[in-house]
Amino acid sequence: MKKRLVASVLTALAVAIVCPMLAAGQQDYRPPAGPAPRSASGKVDFSGVWQKPYVPDLTKDGKDFKGVAELPFTPWGEAEWKKYDAAEGDYTGACLPFGMTRSVNTPEPMQIMQSDTYFAFLFEQNSWFAVAPIDGREHRKGIPTWFGDSVGRWEGDTLVIDTVNFNGKTRLDTIGHPHSDQLHVIQRFSRPDRGHISHEMIIDDLKTFTRPWKTTRTFTLRTDWEMMEYSCEENNKSLWEGRIKVPKFKPF
Amino acid sequence: MRTNRFLIGAGFLVAATLAGRSVAAHHSFAAEFNASKPVTLKGSVTKIEWGNPHIWVYLDVKDDQGSVQQWQCEGGPPNTLTRNGWTPNSLKYGDQVTIDGVLAKDGSKTCNARMVKLPDGRSVFAGSSGGDNPPPPKP
Repeated sequence: MKKRLVASVLTALAVAIVCPMLAAGQQDYRPPAGPAPRSASGKVDFSGVWQKPYVPDLTKDGKDFKGVAELPFTPWGEAEWKKYDAAEGDYTGACLPFGMTRSVNTPEPMQIMQSDTYFAFLFEQNSWFAVAPIDGREHRKGIPTWFGDSVGRWEGDTLVIDTVNFNGKTRLDTIGHPHSDQLHVIQRFSRPDRGHISHEMIIDDLKTFTRPWKTTRTFTLRTDWEMMEYSCEENNKSLWEGRIKVPKFKPF
Repeated sequence: MRTNRFLIGAGFLVAATLAGRSVAAHHSFAAEFNASKPVTLKGSVTKIEWGNPHIWVYLDVKDDQGSVQQWQCEGGPPNTLTRNGWTPNSLKYGDQVTIDGVLAKDGSKTCNARMVKLPDGRSVFAGSSGGDNPPPPKP
Protein backbone atom coordinates (compact mmCIF):
# COMPACT_ATOMS: atom_id res chain seq x y z
CA MET A 1 0.00 0.00 0.00
CA LYS A 2 2.80 2.33 0.97
CA LYS A 3 4.68 1.43 -2.22
CA ARG A 4 1.61 2.17 -4.29
CA LEU A 5 1.24 5.56 -2.65
CA VAL A 6 4.90 6.37 -3.32
CA ALA A 7 4.52 5.26 -6.91
CA SER A 8 1.45 7.41 -7.39
CA VAL A 9 3.19 10.45 -5.94
CA LEU A 10 6.24 9.87 -8.15
CA THR A 11 4.05 9.50 -11.20
CA ALA A 12 2.19 12.69 -10.42
CA LEU A 13 5.49 14.48 -9.90
CA ALA A 14 6.88 13.13 -13.16
CA VAL A 15 3.86 14.30 -15.10
CA ALA A 16 3.71 17.63 -13.27
CA ILE A 17 7.39 18.39 -13.81
CA VAL A 18 8.24 16.79 -17.14
CA CYS A 19 5.17 17.75 -19.13
CA PRO A 20 5.45 21.50 -18.49
CA MET A 21 9.17 21.35 -19.24
CA LEU A 22 8.53 19.74 -22.59
CA ALA A 23 5.67 22.04 -23.31
CA ALA A 24 7.67 25.13 -22.44
CA GLY A 25 8.41 27.02 -25.59
CA GLN A 26 5.83 24.97 -27.40
CA GLN A 27 2.16 24.75 -26.51
CA ASP A 28 2.32 26.81 -23.31
CA TYR A 29 4.46 29.58 -24.68
CA ARG A 30 3.24 32.99 -23.60
CA PRO A 31 4.03 35.93 -25.87
CA PRO A 32 4.98 39.23 -24.27
CA ALA A 33 2.11 41.43 -23.15
CA GLY A 34 1.64 45.14 -23.65
CA PRO A 35 0.57 47.50 -26.39
CA ALA A 36 1.64 47.20 -30.00
CA PRO A 37 5.02 48.86 -30.54
CA ARG A 38 5.34 51.79 -32.88
CA SER A 39 8.13 53.07 -35.06
CA ALA A 40 9.72 56.47 -34.61
CA SER A 41 7.27 57.82 -37.17
CA GLY A 42 4.34 56.58 -35.08
CA LYS A 43 3.27 53.71 -37.31
CA VAL A 44 2.44 50.31 -35.83
CA ASP A 45 5.56 48.18 -36.12
CA PHE A 46 4.92 44.55 -37.11
CA SER A 47 8.58 43.53 -36.96
CA GLY A 48 9.33 40.22 -35.28
CA VAL A 49 9.38 36.45 -35.72
CA TRP A 50 5.81 35.22 -35.98
CA GLN A 51 4.26 31.82 -35.51
CA LYS A 52 1.51 31.25 -38.06
CA PRO A 53 -1.19 28.59 -38.09
CA TYR A 54 -0.58 25.79 -40.57
CA VAL A 55 -3.33 26.05 -43.17
CA PRO A 56 -3.19 23.19 -45.69
CA ASP A 57 -6.85 23.68 -46.64
CA LEU A 58 -8.45 27.13 -46.74
CA THR A 59 -11.91 25.60 -46.35
CA LYS A 60 -11.21 24.06 -42.95
CA ASP A 61 -11.08 26.06 -39.72
CA GLY A 62 -8.25 25.32 -37.32
CA LYS A 63 -6.44 26.77 -34.36
CA ASP A 64 -5.93 30.49 -35.00
CA PHE A 65 -7.54 30.16 -38.44
CA LYS A 66 -11.00 30.66 -39.85
CA GLY A 67 -11.57 29.70 -43.44
CA VAL A 68 -14.45 29.56 -45.89
CA ALA A 69 -16.19 26.20 -45.95
CA GLU A 70 -17.79 26.54 -49.39
CA LEU A 71 -15.68 28.36 -51.93
CA PRO A 72 -17.77 30.29 -54.48
CA PHE A 73 -16.29 28.73 -57.60
CA THR A 74 -17.08 29.90 -61.09
CA PRO A 75 -17.54 27.07 -63.61
CA TRP A 76 -13.93 27.59 -64.68
CA GLY A 77 -12.70 27.47 -61.08
CA GLU A 78 -14.77 24.39 -60.32
CA ALA A 79 -13.35 22.59 -63.32
CA GLU A 80 -9.80 23.53 -62.33
CA TRP A 81 -10.39 22.22 -58.83
CA LYS A 82 -11.94 18.95 -59.95
CA LYS A 83 -9.18 18.08 -62.40
CA TYR A 84 -6.30 18.82 -60.02
CA ASP A 85 -4.16 15.82 -59.12
CA ALA A 86 -0.93 16.55 -57.25
CA ALA A 87 0.42 13.17 -58.32
CA GLU A 88 0.52 14.49 -61.89
CA GLY A 89 2.69 17.42 -60.92
CA ASP A 90 3.44 19.10 -57.62
CA TYR A 91 5.31 22.36 -57.99
CA THR A 92 5.97 22.65 -54.25
CA GLY A 93 7.37 19.15 -54.12
CA ALA A 94 9.69 20.25 -56.91
CA CYS A 95 10.82 23.14 -54.67
CA LEU A 96 9.39 25.76 -57.02
CA PRO A 97 8.16 28.92 -55.28
CA PHE A 98 5.06 28.41 -53.14
CA GLY A 99 3.68 31.87 -53.97
CA MET A 100 2.18 34.32 -51.52
CA THR A 101 -0.84 32.46 -50.13
CA ARG A 102 0.87 29.09 -49.64
CA SER A 103 3.86 30.75 -48.02
CA VAL A 104 1.57 32.47 -45.53
CA ASN A 105 -0.13 29.09 -44.97
CA THR A 106 3.06 27.27 -44.00
CA PRO A 107 3.66 26.24 -40.38
CA GLU A 108 7.22 27.48 -40.46
CA PRO A 109 7.60 30.95 -38.96
CA MET A 110 7.74 34.23 -40.81
CA GLN A 111 9.87 37.18 -39.84
CA ILE A 112 8.57 40.63 -40.65
CA MET A 113 11.00 43.48 -41.10
CA GLN A 114 9.52 46.91 -41.55
CA SER A 115 10.64 50.46 -42.17
CA ASP A 116 8.70 53.52 -43.23
CA THR A 117 9.48 52.52 -46.82
CA TYR A 118 9.25 48.72 -46.94
CA PHE A 119 7.47 45.76 -45.39
CA ALA A 120 9.35 42.51 -45.86
CA PHE A 121 7.91 39.01 -45.51
CA LEU A 122 10.79 36.67 -44.66
CA PHE A 123 9.39 33.18 -44.93
CA GLU A 124 11.38 30.38 -43.33
CA GLN A 125 9.77 27.94 -45.75
CA ASN A 126 12.44 27.52 -48.39
CA SER A 127 14.06 30.80 -47.23
CA TRP A 128 11.84 32.82 -49.56
CA PHE A 129 10.92 36.46 -49.20
CA ALA A 130 8.59 39.10 -50.59
CA VAL A 131 9.05 42.85 -50.20
CA ALA A 132 6.30 45.43 -50.43
CA PRO A 133 6.96 49.16 -50.70
CA ILE A 134 4.63 50.92 -48.26
CA ASP A 135 5.47 54.51 -49.15
CA GLY A 136 2.64 55.12 -51.56
CA ARG A 137 4.15 53.67 -54.70
CA GLU A 138 1.91 52.08 -57.33
CA HIS A 139 2.23 48.49 -58.51
CA ARG A 140 5.08 47.85 -60.89
CA LYS A 141 4.28 46.69 -64.41
CA GLY A 142 6.35 43.69 -65.23
CA ILE A 143 6.53 39.99 -65.90
CA PRO A 144 4.05 38.07 -63.74
CA THR A 145 5.74 36.25 -60.88
CA TRP A 146 5.16 33.45 -58.37
CA PHE A 147 4.77 35.84 -55.44
CA GLY A 148 3.19 38.65 -57.46
CA ASP A 149 3.86 42.35 -56.96
CA SER A 150 3.01 43.80 -53.56
CA VAL A 151 2.51 47.35 -52.36
CA GLY A 152 1.20 48.52 -49.01
CA ARG A 153 -0.83 51.39 -47.62
CA TRP A 154 -2.03 52.39 -44.18
CA GLU A 155 -5.67 52.56 -43.18
CA GLY A 156 -5.33 53.97 -39.67
CA ASP A 157 -3.33 51.40 -37.70
CA THR A 158 -4.03 48.66 -40.23
CA LEU A 159 -1.44 47.95 -42.90
CA VAL A 160 -2.97 46.72 -46.15
CA ILE A 161 -0.69 44.74 -48.44
CA ASP A 162 -2.10 44.50 -51.96
CA THR A 163 -0.65 41.90 -54.33
CA VAL A 164 -1.31 41.41 -58.06
CA ASN A 165 0.53 40.25 -61.19
CA PHE A 166 0.76 36.58 -60.28
CA ASN A 167 1.92 34.06 -62.88
CA GLY A 168 -0.99 31.71 -62.18
CA LYS A 169 1.24 28.69 -61.61
CA THR A 170 0.68 28.36 -57.89
CA ARG A 171 -2.15 26.95 -55.81
CA LEU A 172 -3.90 28.71 -52.95
CA ASP A 173 -3.18 25.93 -50.45
CA THR A 174 -1.55 22.54 -50.01
CA ILE A 175 -4.66 20.63 -50.94
CA GLY A 176 -4.62 22.45 -54.25
CA HIS A 177 -7.46 24.96 -54.45
CA PRO A 178 -6.94 26.84 -57.70
CA HIS A 179 -6.61 30.45 -58.76
CA SER A 180 -5.96 32.18 -62.04
CA ASP A 181 -3.45 34.74 -63.23
CA GLN A 182 -6.10 37.34 -62.35
CA LEU A 183 -5.59 36.68 -58.65
CA HIS A 184 -5.60 39.72 -56.42
CA VAL A 185 -4.64 39.13 -52.78
CA ILE A 186 -5.33 41.69 -50.08
CA GLN A 187 -3.77 41.15 -46.67
CA ARG A 188 -4.78 43.33 -43.75
CA PHE A 189 -2.39 43.38 -40.80
CA SER A 190 -3.35 44.83 -37.44
CA ARG A 191 -1.66 44.35 -34.07
CA PRO A 192 -4.15 44.35 -31.19
CA ASP A 193 -1.31 43.92 -28.69
CA ARG A 194 2.41 43.31 -28.62
CA GLY A 195 2.10 39.54 -28.82
CA HIS A 196 -0.33 39.12 -31.72
CA ILE A 197 -1.15 40.07 -35.28
CA SER A 198 -4.69 39.84 -36.60
CA HIS A 199 -4.41 38.86 -40.23
CA GLU A 200 -7.09 38.94 -42.89
CA MET A 201 -6.50 37.59 -46.36
CA ILE A 202 -8.99 38.45 -49.09
CA ILE A 203 -8.94 36.36 -52.25
CA ASP A 204 -10.26 38.33 -55.20
CA ASP A 205 -10.15 36.38 -58.47
CA LEU A 206 -13.32 36.69 -60.51
CA LYS A 207 -12.13 34.15 -63.07
CA THR A 208 -12.00 31.48 -60.39
CA PHE A 209 -14.54 32.73 -57.81
CA THR A 210 -17.83 34.53 -58.20
CA ARG A 211 -17.01 36.97 -55.38
CA PRO A 212 -14.09 37.87 -53.11
CA TRP A 213 -13.80 35.84 -49.92
CA LYS A 214 -11.86 36.24 -46.73
CA THR A 215 -9.90 34.13 -44.26
CA THR A 216 -8.75 35.29 -40.84
CA ARG A 217 -5.89 34.12 -38.67
CA THR A 218 -3.87 35.10 -35.62
CA PHE A 219 -0.08 35.21 -35.60
CA THR A 220 1.83 34.93 -32.32
CA LEU A 221 5.07 36.73 -31.61
CA ARG A 222 7.84 34.20 -30.84
CA THR A 223 10.55 35.97 -28.93
CA ASP A 224 12.10 32.54 -28.27
CA TRP A 225 12.52 31.63 -31.94
CA GLU A 226 15.07 32.64 -34.52
CA MET A 227 14.74 32.04 -38.21
CA MET A 228 16.53 29.01 -39.61
CA GLU A 229 17.82 28.24 -43.07
CA TYR A 230 15.59 25.98 -45.17
CA SER A 231 17.09 24.79 -48.43
CA CYS A 232 14.40 22.77 -50.16
CA GLU A 233 16.79 21.43 -52.78
CA GLU A 234 19.24 20.12 -50.19
CA ASN A 235 17.95 16.56 -50.10
CA ASN A 236 14.77 16.43 -52.16
CA LYS A 237 14.93 12.68 -52.65
CA SER A 238 11.26 12.43 -53.48
CA LEU A 239 11.82 14.46 -56.62
CA TRP A 240 15.17 12.95 -57.52
CA GLU A 241 13.84 9.40 -57.20
CA GLY A 242 10.77 10.19 -59.30
CA ARG A 243 8.05 9.90 -56.71
CA ILE A 244 7.13 13.57 -57.20
CA LYS A 245 6.64 14.98 -60.68
CA VAL A 246 7.34 18.49 -61.89
CA PRO A 247 4.21 20.08 -63.41
CA LYS A 248 4.27 20.72 -67.13
CA PHE A 249 3.79 24.48 -67.11
CA LYS A 250 3.05 26.28 -70.34
CA PRO A 251 5.71 28.88 -71.19
CA PHE A 252 4.69 32.54 -71.20
CA MET B 1 8.80 -2.55 -10.00
CA ARG B 2 5.41 -0.92 -9.88
CA THR B 3 7.12 2.44 -9.56
CA ASN B 4 9.05 1.73 -12.74
CA ARG B 5 5.86 0.86 -14.55
CA PHE B 6 4.25 4.10 -13.43
CA LEU B 7 7.24 6.12 -14.53
CA ILE B 8 7.35 4.37 -17.88
CA GLY B 9 3.66 5.15 -18.17
CA ALA B 10 4.34 8.80 -17.46
CA GLY B 11 7.10 8.81 -20.05
CA PHE B 12 4.76 7.28 -22.58
CA LEU B 13 2.22 10.01 -21.84
CA VAL B 14 4.86 12.61 -22.56
CA ALA B 15 5.80 10.86 -25.79
CA ALA B 16 2.17 10.69 -26.82
CA THR B 17 1.81 14.41 -26.13
CA LEU B 18 4.73 15.12 -28.38
CA ALA B 19 3.45 12.77 -31.01
CA GLY B 20 0.23 14.70 -31.28
CA ARG B 21 2.01 17.78 -32.49
CA SER B 22 1.78 18.22 -36.22
CA VAL B 23 4.92 18.38 -38.28
CA ALA B 24 3.98 19.57 -41.64
CA ALA B 25 4.72 18.88 -45.23
CA HIS B 26 6.38 21.18 -47.69
CA HIS B 27 4.41 19.56 -50.47
CA SER B 28 1.23 17.69 -51.18
CA PHE B 29 1.28 14.46 -49.21
CA ALA B 30 -1.06 12.79 -51.69
CA ALA B 31 1.36 13.39 -54.54
CA GLU B 32 3.78 10.83 -53.15
CA PHE B 33 2.11 8.64 -50.53
CA ASN B 34 -1.01 6.54 -50.27
CA ALA B 35 -2.77 7.17 -46.95
CA SER B 36 -4.87 4.03 -47.45
CA LYS B 37 -1.79 1.78 -47.44
CA PRO B 38 -0.45 1.67 -43.88
CA VAL B 39 2.72 -0.20 -43.07
CA THR B 40 4.53 -1.17 -39.87
CA LEU B 41 8.26 -1.76 -40.19
CA LYS B 42 10.48 -3.25 -37.49
CA GLY B 43 14.15 -2.99 -38.16
CA SER B 44 17.59 -1.65 -37.43
CA VAL B 45 18.57 1.92 -38.24
CA THR B 46 21.35 2.11 -40.82
CA LYS B 47 21.42 5.84 -41.55
CA ILE B 48 19.79 9.18 -40.73
CA GLU B 49 19.73 12.03 -43.25
CA TRP B 50 18.99 15.28 -41.43
CA GLY B 51 18.35 17.63 -44.33
CA ASN B 52 15.67 19.70 -45.96
CA PRO B 53 12.96 19.40 -46.97
CA HIS B 54 12.50 16.26 -44.83
CA ILE B 55 14.62 13.97 -42.73
CA TRP B 56 15.00 10.36 -43.89
CA VAL B 57 15.45 7.28 -41.73
CA TYR B 58 16.98 4.21 -43.38
CA LEU B 59 16.53 0.80 -41.87
CA ASP B 60 17.15 -2.87 -42.52
CA VAL B 61 14.00 -4.92 -42.16
CA LYS B 62 13.82 -8.71 -42.21
CA ASP B 63 11.00 -10.04 -44.35
CA ASP B 64 8.99 -13.19 -43.69
CA GLN B 65 11.73 -15.33 -45.26
CA GLY B 66 14.39 -13.79 -43.05
CA SER B 67 16.14 -11.87 -45.82
CA VAL B 68 17.07 -8.27 -45.13
CA GLN B 69 15.23 -5.57 -47.06
CA GLN B 70 16.43 -1.98 -47.14
CA TRP B 71 13.72 0.60 -46.46
CA GLN B 72 13.67 4.39 -46.35
CA CYS B 73 11.12 6.50 -44.51
CA GLU B 74 10.46 10.22 -44.73
CA GLY B 75 9.99 12.26 -41.55
CA GLY B 76 9.29 15.89 -40.80
CA PRO B 77 11.29 18.98 -41.74
CA PRO B 78 14.50 19.40 -39.72
CA ASN B 79 13.66 22.94 -38.65
CA THR B 80 10.37 21.97 -37.04
CA LEU B 81 11.89 18.87 -35.45
CA THR B 82 14.72 20.98 -34.05
CA ARG B 83 12.25 23.42 -32.49
CA ASN B 84 10.49 20.43 -30.92
CA GLY B 85 13.72 19.31 -29.28
CA TRP B 86 14.95 16.58 -31.62
CA THR B 87 18.47 16.34 -33.00
CA PRO B 88 20.17 14.14 -35.59
CA ASN B 89 21.49 12.13 -32.62
CA SER B 90 18.05 11.36 -31.25
CA LEU B 91 18.25 8.17 -33.28
CA LYS B 92 21.50 6.27 -33.82
CA TYR B 93 22.93 3.64 -36.11
CA GLY B 94 21.83 0.23 -34.89
CA ASP B 95 18.81 1.41 -32.92
CA GLN B 96 15.96 -1.05 -33.18
CA VAL B 97 12.83 0.84 -34.20
CA THR B 98 9.25 0.28 -35.15
CA ILE B 99 7.93 2.69 -37.75
CA ASP B 100 4.23 3.18 -38.36
CA GLY B 101 3.64 4.90 -41.66
CA VAL B 102 2.12 4.70 -45.08
CA LEU B 103 3.59 3.42 -48.31
CA ALA B 104 4.74 5.43 -51.29
CA LYS B 105 2.55 5.21 -54.36
CA ASP B 106 5.36 4.00 -56.61
CA GLY B 107 5.70 0.62 -54.91
CA SER B 108 9.28 1.21 -53.78
CA LYS B 109 10.42 0.37 -50.26
CA THR B 110 9.63 3.90 -49.19
CA CYS B 111 7.31 5.07 -46.45
CA ASN B 112 6.11 8.22 -44.79
CA ALA B 113 6.77 7.75 -41.09
CA ARG B 114 3.89 8.71 -38.82
CA MET B 115 5.65 7.34 -35.72
CA VAL B 116 9.14 6.05 -34.98
CA LYS B 117 9.22 4.07 -31.73
CA LEU B 118 12.09 2.63 -29.75
CA PRO B 119 11.70 -0.69 -27.88
CA ASP B 120 11.25 1.14 -24.58
CA GLY B 121 8.18 2.89 -25.93
CA ARG B 122 9.72 6.27 -26.54
CA SER B 123 8.79 7.97 -29.79
CA VAL B 124 11.50 9.64 -31.82
CA PHE B 125 11.05 12.37 -34.40
CA ALA B 126 7.37 12.37 -33.49
CA GLY B 127 5.18 13.67 -36.27
CA SER B 128 4.81 13.16 -39.95
CA SER B 129 5.32 15.13 -43.08
CA GLY B 130 1.70 14.34 -43.87
CA GLY B 131 0.33 17.20 -41.84
CA ASP B 132 -2.43 17.89 -44.33
CA ASN B 133 -3.60 14.33 -44.40
CA PRO B 134 -5.80 12.33 -42.05
CA PRO B 135 -4.14 9.51 -40.10
CA PRO B 136 -4.00 6.24 -42.01
CA PRO B 137 -6.59 3.59 -41.17
CA LYS B 138 -5.58 0.75 -38.90
CA PRO B 139 -4.43 -2.34 -40.77
